[in-house]
Amino acid sequence: MLSDRTHRGATSLQRRVLALVGGAALVFSACGGSTTSPSGVSATASAAPPPSQAASSASPAPSDAGYTGPEATISYSIWGDPAEIKNQQAVVDAFHVVNPKITVKVTVSDWDTYWDKLQTGIAGGDAPDVFAMDGPLFPDYQSRDVLLDLKPYIDRSGYDLGQLADQAVADFTTPTGQFGLPRDLNVIALFYNKKMFDAASAPYPDETWDWAKLVQVAHKLTTDTNGDGKPDQWGFYTETSDMENYWSSLVWQNGGDILAPDGKSTVLGTDQAAGGIQFLQDLIWKEKVMPDPALFAEVGDAFEQGKAAMEANGSWLVATHQAAGIDLGIAPLPKGPAGQATSINPTGAVVYAKTKSPDAAWEFVKYLASPAAQTKLMELRASLPANKEVLAGPYASSFDGAKVLADALAYAHIKPSFKGYNDFATTLQTELDANVFNEPTETAKQAIDKVLPALNELLAGQ
Amino acid sequence: MTALGSRRGGFPGRRGGSRGGGPLGGEGRWALLFLAPTLVGLAVLSAGPVLATLAISLTKWDLLQAPQLVALANFVQLASDDRFLKALRNTAFYTVVSVPLGMLISLFLALALNQTIRGIAWIRTAYFLPVVTSTIAIALVWQWIYSPDSGLLNQFIGIFGIAPQKWLSNATLAMPAIVAMSVWQGLGTNIIIFLAGLQAIPTDLLDAASVDGAGRWARFRNVVLPLLTPSIFFTGILSLIGSFQVFDQVFVLSRPRPTEATITVVYFIYENGFKFFKMGYATAASWILFIIVAVLTAIYFRSQNRWVHYQ
Repeated sequence: MLSDRTHRGATSLQRRVLALVGGAALVFSACGGSTTSPSGVSATASAAPPPSQAASSASPAPSDAGYTGPEATISYSIWGDPAEIKNQQAVVDAFHVVNPKITVKVTVSDWDTYWDKLQTGIAGGDAPDVFAMDGPLFPDYQSRDVLLDLKPYIDRSGYDLGQLADQAVADFTTPTGQFGLPRDLNVIALFYNKKMFDAASAPYPDETWDWAKLVQVAHKLTTDTNGDGKPDQWGFYTETSDMENYWSSLVWQNGGDILAPDGKSTVLGTDQAAGGIQFLQDLIWKEKVMPDPALFAEVGDAFEQGKAAMEANGSWLVATHQAAGIDLGIAPLPKGPAGQATSINPTGAVVYAKTKSPDAAWEFVKYLASPAAQTKLMELRASLPANKEVLAGPYASSFDGAKVLADALAYAHIKPSFKGYNDFATTLQTELDANVFNEPTETAKQAIDKVLPALNELLAGQ
Repeated sequence: MTALGSRRGGFPGRRGGSRGGGPLGGEGRWALLFLAPTLVGLAVLSAGPVLATLAISLTKWDLLQAPQLVALANFVQLASDDRFLKALRNTAFYTVVSVPLGMLISLFLALALNQTIRGIAWIRTAYFLPVVTSTIAIALVWQWIYSPDSGLLNQFIGIFGIAPQKWLSNATLAMPAIVAMSVWQGLGTNIIIFLAGLQAIPTDLLDAASVDGAGRWARFRNVVLPLLTPSIFFTGILSLIGSFQVFDQVFVLSRPRPTEATITVVYFIYENGFKFFKMGYATAASWILFIIVAVLTAIYFRSQNRWVHYQ
């Protein structure tokens, strides 16, 4: 789609439009800011050059002591909403203080525009030096030789990749090199509305829950409060239009998988995989504990609006739910027949292969993954820090439920990431949306069997 | 829009030019000078890229690496691409329904608005407002109208005991719902053109018809309508071309992605070019769209001798 990030907390068009407008405003303010901030920074820098800087400039060999190259200006492109943009600008400002010779210009776009601009920028040979990369789309860019291999820089500076979450690092690793560092990651968990649970005297979800327990309690919380014969409060809600929000976790919890190990075909046709997707269809159409997706397609997240007691969705929604005034509880996803599983998806910072300032770009990418930047990022409550030290320490105790999210990495699967991801997801999801989730005209197995040849052809051709 | 009438009479500067100078020839040169910014812009910013897409359509190109020549393979593949054929069918449906419907309603409204009553300027402005409002804002309002839960439309049909419908996610209703919004959104443009056409009709012709005993309908049928045909022709061509390029309404209303019932050709082009890394394939589709539009436009232009009356 269109946007496979439509699930990123912005289901409601209103919010998406606000983000667009706000994003545009921030582009302007960011442009204005970047013209003033470098001069301010360089003024302080020339007044008091740090001694380490002066010492290391004698030896031109790169070291971990800091950036020693010539003055450089690099551009950094990200997608995001106004809060994320403000946060990243604060990180950049802090970077300027420690690296006065590098000026970073931040540009932001909404999700769709971001990729359009990036592709046309690369086609025209004018891409940002550093840009944000979504895990699943990484292979599409890396395989086309537009990303810089950071391995030589990592080796030269003795950078320890072990300080970052392993799965997240691996998502940007290929047999030939390391083409980015993870900046943050998102994990799927179960949110619950404590007030609604208390009102129904229902037990809070915990790590002992399984699918059956979820259905049982969800029934208890699905009610028709105004007596019109239709439920107006649902026990459960999730987004169905992307595998990440819930259904890929259900597939793994049922012992299935998305891709065959060699990545050249899909194993969604197995009973285990189809069974996971079937469970989601049943929650909507058989158990009726989850609203018909069409009901909330236009108005946004049912849980955020206080119309659903539980939601399986991503860590990016924590701040949104809290801001909506929900007494938020966070629990692990209920376990499936084959055990516990969830989905994580990292966002990476990657460097354009043809950047004119690779050393400055590397310095900045490294900084984005540093404890200082990651602690700043953490304040957003939008994503988990990729840095292990920050994740286990400050993050896990930063809000009620953060530890559940951090601990989920132990049993998380990485969101499938392969060349042709968008094409695959669109073909598959168009079918699932139309005939499985929005209307139950087919079982999950029937729908998958229908698109299986097209999916396999697509994967084989990549 | 009286300019349309004079256009038929020929470009005066042109005639003068063929005589080789003189005051009219000078006028022609001035005209060219004033047109130059647009012409240069078109040549550099439109004609260049348009020709480039013709070359790109013969390649496999992901935007990131060098294109590979594949001759006509993209066109061959399009012919058997289900999603493309569905997009073509949906676009055809959209055009066939929205163009006549939009023109009929706006003609009717233009006749109604062609009055000299108090506040008419405000009423005309109101009809034109959707044209200058962003599609995003309009789509927000229409999403609320179409909302399956508390939508205005479902509340309205509820009065007559009709069950609520999922206007935007139901495969049968989705495209008509998008057409309805687009027609409403586009009314203003057509109305303005029709109004201009109506006001250019000389009142003495209408008076003469009245004296000859023509009633309201007869005057409309035999005087107004024939004199309005240039305006109808003009709005027709604009609507036709515009409707083949329908994109933003679908892009916004069919979130998170258009279904098989709502995907249109331009959305297909966007999706392949910018989401699937198939720019060559996307440009091939855009050339097919261009050829379809060009052929229909040519046929439409040829037809004007038979039904368009210039004063």
